[in-house]
Amino acid sequence: MIETWTDPLLMLVVTPFLGAAPGLLLWSKPRMLKVWVLLVTLASLVMIMGVSGRLTGPAAGIPFLFLLPVAAFLSLLGQPAQQEGRVAWLMTLILLGLGLGVLISQNGLKLILLLSVLGLVSLLIGRYKKLSGPQLWWAIGMYSLGVVCLMSSLIAAPPVSSIALLLTYSVLLPLFPFHGGYVGALVGLPGNLPAFLAVLLPSIGFHGVLTLIPRMLGGIVQTLVILALLGALYGSLKALAQYRVVSLLAYAGVAFFAILWWYLATTRTYSPQAVIYLSAVALVTGGLLLAWRAVQARYGDVDLRAISGLAHSMPRFATLLSLLALAAMGLPPFGVFSGFMGMLLTPSLPLSGALLIIVVAWLAASWYFLNWMQQLLFGRHRRDLRHEDLHQTEFASLLILVLILMVLGIAPSRFFESGTPSNGYSTAMESKLWHK
Amino acid sequence: MWSYVILVPLLPLLAAIVIGVAGCSLRERSAKAGVLPIITAFLGAVVTLVLVSSKGPISVRFYEPGSVANLALPMGFYIDRLSAVMMVLITVVSTIIYIYSIGYMYQDRGHSRFLALLAFTTFVLLCMVSSANLVMLFVFWQLLSWLLYLLAHNHTHPATLDGAFKTFTLLRVGDVAFLAGIVLAHALYGTIEFQELFARAAATPVILSLGPGSGLEISGVTAVTLLIFIGAMSKSAQFPIHIWLPKSLYAPTPVHALLHAGIINAGGFLLNRLAPLYGLSPTTLHVVFVIGALTAFLGACMMLTQNDIKKTLGYSTIGQMGYMIMECGLGAFALAVFHLIAHGLFKATVFLNCGHVIHAARQEPKFPYKDQAADRGEFSLLTWLTGFIATLVLPLIILLAAHGVLRIPLRDSQGAVIFLFFSWVTSSQAILTLTRLRAVAFWKVAVAMLLTLLLVILTYLLAAESFTYFLYPAPDEVASYFQAAALPAWLFDFLVVATTLLIILGWFLIYARAHVPTIRIPGWVEALRVRLYVLFMNRLYVDLVYLRLGQGLIRVAHRLDKHDVGWLP
Repeated sequence: MIETWTDPLLMLVVTPFLGAAPGLLLWSKPRMLKVWVLLVTLASLVMIMGVSGRLTGPAAGIPFLFLLPVAAFLSLLGQPAQQEGRVAWLMTLILLGLGLGVLISQNGLKLILLLSVLGLVSLLIGRYKKLSGPQLWWAIGMYSLGVVCLMSSLIAAPPVSSIALLLTYSVLLPLFPFHGGYVGALVGLPGNLPAFLAVLLPSIGFHGVLTLIPRMLGGIVQTLVILALLGALYGSLKALAQYRVVSLLAYAGVAFFAILWWYLATTRTYSPQAVIYLSAVALVTGGLLLAWRAVQARYGDVDLRAISGLAHSMPRFATLLSLLALAAMGLPPFGVFSGFMGMLLTPSLPLSGALLIIVVAWLAASWYFLNWMQQLLFGRHRRDLRHEDLHQTEFASLLILVLILMVLGIAPSRFFESGTPSNGYSTAMESKLWHK
Repeated sequence: MWSYVILVPLLPLLAAIVIGVAGCSLRERSAKAGVLPIITAFLGAVVTLVLVSSKGPISVRFYEPGSVANLALPMGFYIDRLSAVMMVLITVVSTIIYIYSIGYMYQDRGHSRFLALLAFTTFVLLCMVSSANLVMLFVFWQLLSWLLYLLAHNHTHPATLDGAFKTFTLLRVGDVAFLAGIVLAHALYGTIEFQELFARAAATPVILSLGPGSGLEISGVTAVTLLIFIGAMSKSAQFPIHIWLPKSLYAPTPVHALLHAGIINAGGFLLNRLAPLYGLSPTTLHVVFVIGALTAFLGACMMLTQNDIKKTLGYSTIGQMGYMIMECGLGAFALAVFHLIAHGLFKATVFLNCGHVIHAARQEPKFPYKDQAADRGEFSLLTWLTGFIATLVLPLIILLAAHGVLRIPLRDSQGAVIFLFFSWVTSSQAILTLTRLRAVAFWKVAVAMLLTLLLVILTYLLAAESFTYFLYPAPDEVASYFQAAALPAWLFDFLVVATTLLIILGWFLIYARAHVPTIRIPGWVEALRVRLYVLFMNRLYVDLVYLRLGQGLIRVAHRLDKHDVGWLP
């Protein structure tokens, strides 16, 4: 499985772990610890650049390999250097290592690493207990289901093993009604972890689903389509009803990823547009979580209706938040729009009435995101509150995120092609996108 | 060869960047620095129009339609006569509005932001009208929706904010329908390139089933054009997606001028850009006609009952846009473009001047100074008779001019009759309006009527002949649009007769209201008038219906959120 110390898998998995260990020595110095974990994430990124040419296995993992350390770095960069964040920072490194391992490993090791991700996130949710009773049990229950299904896939014969694996991945890439784990991770964890997990969990899930979907029986695929459409409607309606921003973002994620599930189940192909879409949705969710975290750092965990008029007092924050909201609403020139448009114009996408539900979910996003942005930035300016615009690190992390989303929106799709076609799934790349 | 024409849209972008980046530090100097690129863009648009008129369309693509190694969004420019005309209109209106705004917004805190947004909107509009394909057009179409939200400007004012939110939400409804139209077009015909799309749609008729076993079918091109038409309806404020336009009345005056003179024309432009596709679907053209006619009628009625100058102008624009869309529905695509240009220039002038009117009204304590009794006293039989007879004689003059001078065969061509009919309706409307302006000396009104008559007829005939030929040089193409849009003979005759009767009724009512003691109007007519007045004053309660729909949806969402805790997260 692992042949030498220069094995890319080993290097990528071990770097963040090794980085986390000396971090314990800096436990009493939060500022230095933060700098250290940032350096480790950068080292992971550099290492990925170095070894990406030598990687074998599912090639669709390659775009995500870059995505994960970038997401980890950006989620850490804007965090205040306070003692409360230390556990989350080190957990970010550990999850980064596990996530990279899941993406590039195969067979038994992949399952062990996946099991570790599920177990660790579940433990963290249980440890922090930020969720209300039913939500907490649903979240832990979903991760437990993921673990059970993963174990079952080891002993069961196909197609049961494939279905079990699919269930595990549907916990990570949220699919109605197994989305509780994803929602729980975003709502129930502290610090930068929700922003990082908003990228990590769907990336692992998507990567796994790609290898499974082409092998699925017609009936299963039909079920997936129905669940995806239900999820798109359910996520949109739930997002409309939320006053807590993090819950709104979590359910919006459920709706957006339901669109991806629908696309994957309908076309049963890999396409760079789907990768763009997934990366953009994950990053924009993470970005909005980070932006909200900046508000929380100033005003506490407040209700959406409690603050207004920030455009007046926090112009830099307002500019970046409105750009992120623009991206989240699926407007050009950001990746969510390009990915969505590219998916819908995939030649192999059959026409059906489901398209109506998809565009309704898309429309609903404009409503709830605009409502949130408007509530926060505009309206009456609260003079009774002390206002402070973004710090340099917060500003830098959000700005880089916006720029990445823009690059995802306008860069040629071939940047997101896999290096080599992998087994198990077909590709939509051969067909012309704009013209057939 | 002429690829430098892409500088025309890029210059306003440059202005936007300069003002946006350096605006805070340079203040009025950056605002003035923006004037030069915008004026240059206008001059460039004029040169482009001349070039395109003489040398044919210009195409600049930054992507290869048959390749996947492209930008994620296929960017390219296709500038034909239609695009060039629109570019000239946009740049001339933008230049005037920009210069006006430098002074108008001078003391505003967001002065630079506002000017940068104006310049950026010009860039977006120019890119939209010169898009090489459907996706690029859609990209800029959506950005326009967002810009309308931002241009509301005073986001601390609750009513402005509410209006901006409703504007964006309703425009997104249109955007989503447009998106569905593009997806359907691509799925059916496999391309997003305009010319290719038209050719394939004409060559390959596709029938879609509306449900397995339902037996309901729709032509592919009808489905595509209907969906895209919903997009056009939203941007051009067509009934029932019109309510956003009056809601935006709190935006600064230059925004109104830009909105009513430029942005709102997007729907008319879109239908013209896709005219060959619309020409393939008589069903869609009839729907377009009905929606346009309904909007024109309701917009005009609502305009008459508003008591706020900006709302009045807003509903006037809705009525005019209805008129423009109706023209498209009748196959008179070029006339619609002519209409939108004329309306755009007129409305920009009115909006930029309406502040002065409001100011003057505040200075004049006796204004409004006339009561009903005074109105009755000023009735002039001479003016009324001049107007009435001129209106009745008008069709005869038009018929003679068309038949004798222009040699248009009226009996065989419903399209030609439509042109003439429009010129009659428009001039009758102008004369009716002039008659109601009784503050002017009567002989002046009579002369003005006759001059208006002459002007309107000449303009319409000019529009019918020259502008149509300019935009659509192939006579067969124009004829095919009219043919596709042709209404059943009985319906067409009914509409002509009904409109004629309405015009005569208008004259009669003016006469009757001036002679109340001798001509008794039945009580139920007055009661009906009051009811209709209240109905139109409340804008047919369409706003209320939308409000209830929105509240209903939110209630459902909250109910779902409340009840599912415990069994679903």
